[in-house]
Amino acid sequence: MLAFLRGGPTGLEHLVAKAIGMLGDSRHSFDLATLALLTKTDAAAVDNDIRETDQRISVAEQELRSEVVVHITVQGPTDIGSVLSLVLLSNKIERIGAQTRNVLDLAEAGVSLTNQPDTEALLSERSVISALFGEVAELMSEPDEDALDDLSRRCADLQTEQQNKIDGYLHSTEPGTVVVPRAIYQRYLKRVVANLVGIVIALSEPMPPTDTLTEDSASSGSDADG
Amino acid sequence: MNTSTADKGITGAMPTWLRAILVGGLIYAFLVGVSALEAGVKFMGQDTQERLFENVSNPLAGLCIGILGTVLVQSSSASTSVIVGLVAAGAIDIDTAVPMIMGANIGTTVTNTLVALGSARQSNEFRRAFAAATVHDFFNVIAVAILLPLELATGVISSIAGWLSDLLVGSSGSDWKSPIKQWVKTPVGWIKDFWSWIGLSGNTLGVVMIITGLAIVLISLALITKNMRQLIADRVERSMNSVLAKGNGSIAMLLGMVITMLVQSSSITTSILIPMSAAGVITLRNAYPVTLGANVGTTITALLAALATGSTPALTVALTHTVFNVTGILILYVPPFVRDVPVYCAEWLARIAASRPVWAVGYVMGAFIVLPLIGVIVAR
Repeated sequence: MLAFLRGGPTGLEHLVAKAIGMLGDSRHSFDLATLALLTKTDAAAVDNDIRETDQRISVAEQELRSEVVVHITVQGPTDIGSVLSLVLLSNKIERIGAQTRNVLDLAEAGVSLTNQPDTEALLSERSVISALFGEVAELMSEPDEDALDDLSRRCADLQTEQQNKIDGYLHSTEPGTVVVPRAIYQRYLKRVVANLVGIVIALSEPMPPTDTLTEDSASSGSDADG
Repeated sequence: MNTSTADKGITGAMPTWLRAILVGGLIYAFLVGVSALEAGVKFMGQDTQERLFENVSNPLAGLCIGILGTVLVQSSSASTSVIVGLVAAGAIDIDTAVPMIMGANIGTTVTNTLVALGSARQSNEFRRAFAAATVHDFFNVIAVAILLPLELATGVISSIAGWLSDLLVGSSGSDWKSPIKQWVKTPVGWIKDFWSWIGLSGNTLGVVMIITGLAIVLISLALITKNMRQLIADRVERSMNSVLAKGNGSIAMLLGMVITMLVQSSSITTSILIPMSAAGVITLRNAYPVTLGANVGTTITALLAALATGSTPALTVALTHTVFNVTGILILYVPPFVRDVPVYCAEWLARIAASRPVWAVGYVMGAFIVLPLIGVIVAR
């Protein structure tokens, strides 16, 4: 009953805050899992933390879904676009959690990229991706069309770079113990970035617009041509 | 992501303070409507009143008229306010009004049952939605089945309500000086003067005053509900989430009561539960106490209407509505061994309805229209 009496954020603000919290949790997991692979951090030590965080994300996603239903039921369909975005992006955030676990599994399987010639570059790449989580969270709370476009472009560049690396590893003459873990790791990173892009797309355009008028014009034009 | 609520069209863009003032004005209009209705009945004269209402003196007919009237206006708040107005005018007495109030309690459950029919194409969703809707029906029907014969035999419900109104406004049987009645006197006078100026008098003036009062009551209640729903939507959402997360039966009941008191409509509260139940967000056992709270909360409107009349019998009838619903909860929800009876009945009916949705339509037509109509014809 206190929830009814006291003031607080609007329904949508609450939902967005919850989704941002989920993204923060997935960033935490990402940071820990990549640290376990790229530094001397003990993988077993972060395992518990990551699994607990993952559990927290799953619970938050369940709560978010149920709260979305309550929101639409109580407030009506006014916020349907934003609500659809939230449903889509919560799904992406959960997938990031799964990819983070995969990175941790690599570390727990005995793979270590510590003190390697490319470790510095990998750590730097990790920092860039980690910072992307923060940027996406900011855009979730304060949307900015230009910043969304800029972020999408940078993510696309990063994905191209990662794909090039994967292609390079696939055709490398170096031993499998060197290239296979790196190719797998880059693949996971690429998926993480793809999901962050997915969040950005969900924020700006949850549904691709259907321009029936243009299609009609086009078809009538082609009919005329025919 | 745009989280502001400003982009909600013209009505949604109204500032909260302005909407609160609007609601205050609408409540005043509602009270004027009840008072105009009462005045209209009084203009009709004793003979006409007796002819009009002689058929409802049978309790079964009264019960069925209560159901049909509420189904017609889709609001027990409106129908009970009209009953209170009729009692205040002396058109019907307390004994006649009590079955009608109980009928209104049953009739109001049709709205969320109709909402549940919207899920008929999805079998599982429909089963959950229909059960959440009909648990309200079963609770009210069982409560009436127990309490109406008890009331007819002993007068216990109206006696408790009478004792409460004595406690509140003094000895029963006499009118009390309600400040609200004084506040609404002037606009009711304007309405009467307007129709008299048109040239109406006697029974015609009474009928037109009744229609005017009814229209004001229905329109103002609908607008109060709409505006209050927007005013408290965020609070309702927050508290619903909190009840879903960690609430218990009594908290859920209290929440249902408070929401209904604020939006002046149990149908709004109970209808909110239907899509949530259909989606599996809230279980039937969690939705049930919210419904019971709504049952009690909706009685506030008739109490408000009684304040506009300044009549002790009218206040007694309004309190009868509250006492009936509270007693129903004490009998059917508080003892753990009977608590699940309406739930089992609703689950049973929902299983049948989900297997053949046409049965659900038949149930709505039969329970809320055909049976009450037969009841009225047989019992008059």
